[in-house]
Amino acid sequence: MTSTGLPTAVLWGRTSFDDSVTDVEAVKRRHERRLLETPGVTGVGIGRRDGQDCIRIYVADDSPKVLSAIPTSVEDVPVEVVVSGPFKAR
Amino acid sequence: MRHEEAQEVCECLYLGLKVDGLTARNHPNVVGVGIGYKEHRSESSEDLALRFYVRQKLHRLLVPEAERIPREIEGIPTDVIEARDFSIWRPIPPIYQRRVRPAMGGLSIGHYDISAGTFGCLVADRRERYVLSNNHVLANENRGTEGDPILQPGRFDGGKVDRDVLARLVTYVALDPDGVNVVDAALAEPHQAEDVTPDVLNVGRLKGSRDPRLGEEVRKSGRTTRLTRGIVEDASATIRVGYSRGSFVFQDQMIVRASSGTFSSGGDSGSVIVGQDSKALGLLFGGSPFFTVANKVTNVEKALDVAVV
Repeated sequence: MTSTGLPTAVLWGRTSFDDSVTDVEAVKRRHERRLLETPGVTGVGIGRRDGQDCIRIYVADDSPKVLSAIPTSVEDVPVEVVVSGPFKAR
Repeated sequence: MRHEEAQEVCECLYLGLKVDGLTARNHPNVVGVGIGYKEHRSESSEDLALRFYVRQKLHRLLVPEAERIPREIEGIPTDVIEARDFSIWRPIPPIYQRRVRPAMGGLSIGHYDISAGTFGCLVADRRERYVLSNNHVLANENRGTEGDPILQPGRFDGGKVDRDVLARLVTYVALDPDGVNVVDAALAEPHQAEDVTPDVLNVGRLKGSRDPRLGEEVRKSGRTTRLTRGIVEDASATIRVGYSRGSFVFQDQMIVRASSGTFSSGGDSGSVIVGQDSKALGLLFGGSPFFTVANKVTNVEKALDVAVV
């Protein structure tokens, strides 16, 4: 780092004090491409369950083969599996 | 008076048999005969009556004596009801699928080479007002070229290039099969400014735009399922969506679940999803059997450098 300590301090401030939405958003961003490559996964989003933000993983169907490949949490953020069916342009 | 007796008289009349000097079948003014409760000053009683449905109800003195319907036949009272002519019910298409001028959000629209989608709303830059809808509705999934005719109603709803052209394709955000997409959006410029209004059918005037909030109630007005309501279940989704040319990945999308029944279906693409505060939140473009997916209007405005009117 060639800059002063300021940008770093601001950055740290963001991750530690911002509300959970930002955290979940960042976790989702880090993993969404990989998760979307998993067969049967149609989407990755953010929802709320029991008053807590969670990662929603949309799946084409709820076959054991698809479900077994889905993690129950990502970086300690709980995962909610949602059966969507395939998405198509309308 | 028993129903069977009335039925018998009714059938005689229908078969062309004379009952009390009257033959309903050849009567120039009678279009039908039936049985119902006798009406006294528009209120129905518990007595049965023979009902004569006529093209036109006239005062007794204006009807030739031979054509007058007696007050009662074989002791059964009669009623004369004006019914005009009976005809089979031809399905009348809903207004959403018809030609409407000035055209507005919610109506059927489409590039001349596609089936039909939905007119979202009007947007504007510093110079012009444009019709906003999807790339796959106005620009045929990147296949369209500037100036292509846009029909209202769309081709599937009977729109013809020689009489129903509302606008011309101006620009679209190209769909990227390999990278990440954010919007499926295109603009068309109306040939006549007075042929469009900033209203959305059954929703009214929009009040700008904003980002959707998780859990909020929304509605949309579209060509196929018309006015429907739903709940924002996800305001930050990355999803894979199937098109005629393959599946494309979209980031920063909103996902809506219907409050009851379905929120959208084929042909609703291009509809604007609206919040309780009449702000435009989403540009509907796809869905799964259980969900509807939409671009955020704020992203659409950024990508096309326009604002909701």
